[in-house]
Amino acid sequence: MKKKSIVYPSILAVALSGVLAGCGGGESGGSDDNTLTVWAMGEEGKLLNEMTAGYEEAHPDVNVKVQAIPWESAYDKLLTAVASGNGPDVLQLGTTWVAEFADAGALLDLSEHIEEYPEFDPENYFDGAQTSMKYDDQIVGIPWYVETRTMYYRTDLLEEVGYSEPPANWDELKDAASKLSESGEDVYGLDIDLNDQITPFIFAWQNGFEFDAENPNFTSPEFKGALEYYTSYFKEGISTTSEGIDIVQAFKDGQKPMFFSGPWMINILNDQAPDLEGKWAVAPMPAQESNVSSIGGANFSVFHNSEKVDEALDFISYMNEVDTQLEWMEKSNTLPSRLEAWEDPKLADDEMYSVFGEQLENTKGAPPIKEWEKIAQELLATIERINIGGADLDEELEKFNEKADSLIE
Amino acid sequence: MLNQLLKGTVRNRHPFIFIAPALIILILFSLIPIMIAFVISFTDMDLKGLADWSNISFIGLQNYTTLLADTVFHKALFNTFFYVVIGVPLVIIFSLSIALLLNYGKTLIFTVFRAVYFMPAITNIIAVAVVWGFLYNTQYGLFNYVLSLADIDKVLWLEEPVMAKLSLIILAVWKGIGINMIIFLAALQGIPNSYYEAAKIDGAKRWQILFFITLPLLRYAIFFVTVTTLIGWLQFFEEPFIMTQGGPLDGTVSMALFIYQRGFQFSEFGYAAAGSFVLFIVIIIVTLLQFKLKKSDAEY
Amino acid sequence: MSSGKSKNNTERWIATILLIIGGIIVSLPFIWMISSSFKPENEILQIPPTLIAENPTFQNYIDLFTNLNFGVYLRNTLIIVALSFVGLFFNAMAGYGFAKYHFKGKEKVFYLVLATMMIPGQVTMIPVYLLLNEMGLINTMAGIVLPGLAAAFSIFLFRMFMATIPTDLIEAARLDGAGEFYIFFRLIIPISKPIFAVQGILTFIAAWNSFLWPLIIANDESLYTLSVGLSLLKGQYANNFALQMAGAAFMVIPIIIIFSFFQKYIVEGFTTSGLK
Repeated sequence: MKKKSIVYPSILAVALSGVLAGCGGGESGGSDDNTLTVWAMGEEGKLLNEMTAGYEEAHPDVNVKVQAIPWESAYDKLLTAVASGNGPDVLQLGTTWVAEFADAGALLDLSEHIEEYPEFDPENYFDGAQTSMKYDDQIVGIPWYVETRTMYYRTDLLEEVGYSEPPANWDELKDAASKLSESGEDVYGLDIDLNDQITPFIFAWQNGFEFDAENPNFTSPEFKGALEYYTSYFKEGISTTSEGIDIVQAFKDGQKPMFFSGPWMINILNDQAPDLEGKWAVAPMPAQESNVSSIGGANFSVFHNSEKVDEALDFISYMNEVDTQLEWMEKSNTLPSRLEAWEDPKLADDEMYSVFGEQLENTKGAPPIKEWEKIAQELLATIERINIGGADLDEELEKFNEKADSLIE
Repeated sequence: MLNQLLKGTVRNRHPFIFIAPALIILILFSLIPIMIAFVISFTDMDLKGLADWSNISFIGLQNYTTLLADTVFHKALFNTFFYVVIGVPLVIIFSLSIALLLNYGKTLIFTVFRAVYFMPAITNIIAVAVVWGFLYNTQYGLFNYVLSLADIDKVLWLEEPVMAKLSLIILAVWKGIGINMIIFLAALQGIPNSYYEAAKIDGAKRWQILFFITLPLLRYAIFFVTVTTLIGWLQFFEEPFIMTQGGPLDGTVSMALFIYQRGFQFSEFGYAAAGSFVLFIVIIIVTLLQFKLKKSDAEY
Repeated sequence: MSSGKSKNNTERWIATILLIIGGIIVSLPFIWMISSSFKPENEILQIPPTLIAENPTFQNYIDLFTNLNFGVYLRNTLIIVALSFVGLFFNAMAGYGFAKYHFKGKEKVFYLVLATMMIPGQVTMIPVYLLLNEMGLINTMAGIVLPGLAAAFSIFLFRMFMATIPTDLIEAARLDGAGEFYIFFRLIIPISKPIFAVQGILTFIAAWNSFLWPLIIANDESLYTLSVGLSLLKGQYANNFALQMAGAAFMVIPIIIIFSFFQKYIVEGFTTSGLK
């Protein structure tokens, strides 16, 4: 009996380690000589798998392995990769994350390779997208697909308040939105997403604001004017601070007949509000000094310790050929980053996409500094204090400016 | 002689053999990492430091002093306290009462209801967010609709700091009942029927049986549920994370959400680790207090 | 006598009615989740939400299975479930060790165990990853399962429950010459059926939904679980709710089966083991 007492756990331990080892199986790390590992996010990661065949045909000695990573945990996964150096060769990175990971040294500087590949020439890409390619004086990424914000509006409802053309500037936007708001109970002429980080900056840019990392100038008249305009929508009840109903349904019901969003909304509206067809359209941003919008999307980067830099660059180059980009657009419904791709009739002649193409000509990217996320969050908190807490705009901007100044060092 | 000695040690080793497998895993994958995190809390580690440890520098207690001056952290502390004081008793009372009700019968309907009350624990979190988002919607929500039938004004469920906290508590109580309920049910099974029968023969009334037999015999389970629920609620995270992201005006930020935002949104790992240790110390104090109070009662 | 019986009956009715009202409130989101999985995308966010789909469709489920690398994900998930039951067993052993033995420093060790519950998991994620990396367990099933094998909550629950088992019973078995492990397997485990059932349910749910470690440890998709696979269907901006609800509904079915299977032990429990 006594003997048994030690025997049990040892058997168990042996059995367990056997099971575990058996399940481990297979290669470790995918470091085979000819495997190129690519990390891509969410749905795009799954679709990218279908795109690699073309590349592999041209490069029979390379085997591309795409690992799809859910968006919600991509950051966790990237952290462990940065900490351990167990990263992929090629990495899809949202443009807002570029600065932070470049600052940490996780992304390979591509400057010396840029001239070997005609596809990588910054001139190939939208001005706004070029911002995200650089960090300090390094080239850390190549734009893969882009997105920008435009205005979605109900053509029929705007017609009713006298706008047969979409509002083209701030005054018209305000006027149209107030008239729409008055047209019925629970109608909010313009919907502004209070959780969206970039919207306040879009207004500021349109008002002539230029961000200066050396000396944050959030108390400048341009920035202040933009925020006064932005918050006036809430003060006057044209926009609502409460969650309300889902934007698609509100758009359908006419309760929120105008809002800003990106290209993904086209499909959502087509799928979720099919009966609305013909009653809505997209238009470029209304202008103040200009009608700048934001540009985002995703880049391809090479992980800092990749041993297959050449293959990685070949792969990125292939993915960014105009034809591949067009094929990718059809598959994923994302917008190509290459200027040339926009000459294709599939984009140029599409009444929705062509608006995005037009808007993309006039965009700015989030400033490539690693503190950006913190500054943007701080601004949202500031706006919340003004909108909901009833705080004074001047004072809050003063505080925000100091805070931003202390964040950037 | 040697044999004797060996036998002796083997016998004394029994508890260790029982405990060892779990303990080794806990030491390796929890305690050591906690100690590493503790060290990190004295550094300025960020993403750069994570990539290359030579970028990390020790900054002493600076993270902790910054934390004490951080107004958002103050709010997080207060909110967490608010959640715990109101939420924990509610969870215990509700899950215990439901378990007692369910224990009434063994017919099919009671079996079904055991599963029904467990459902919130297994409902997908996105479904929870969507449905509760609808229930709490100020203009179109079901709750406000029902209130409007009784001529009560619209309630700003998630848009006013105190109300938003209460709304999240309701949601969390709803979610937390299931697991505690089955623990209570399992414990109720441990009470031999003969106790009830004896009490009935003695002419005891229902409430007497409840207060003098059932509840005292459930004290282990109640203690367990109290301790683990308190620990869980001090780490209150998911509800504000999915429903409010800490807003309005930081009115629903909990300590755990604060730590998550600093660590995983802003990559201030050193600062987040310091926040975790303040939370850790709070939890330890609360838990030790409970054990001390329990000690005077009985061996558990 | 008859008046006592009718009183008993009224009480039972009150209990039943209370349970039904509470049950409806409690299960609404769950019902919505199930019914939404049969709705087309344009119906899903309708206000007020419909409890029964107006235009029911199976399309979401068809999409789900065509989009998911189902076989591989299911296999991995089942392996994790099986292995975590080994962990359940470790926890039971540890709970018993703490409950029924006396040794030096027991309480201190136990506090240490409890302390592991008190730190949010995100704080220790990177250290754990680096440790597993040192151990060469990256991209292995062992690396996925090991960190979650022991759980303080579970050890604590086993301890609490096993402490209520009369020590006389164990002493009597010892006098009969039973070994310590014999006692554990033949006496303690059968008596502890209700708590094993509770823990079985909880362990199953945790393992079945395991998400973060399979994702972080895996270097390719061959180690992904069902949860990871489902979350791949989520977009950065756009969410396909109907598809996600189909996924969630599908994930819940095995849990309900396991629950109904185990809950009869929660109900039977001690009463049949003859323990007084």
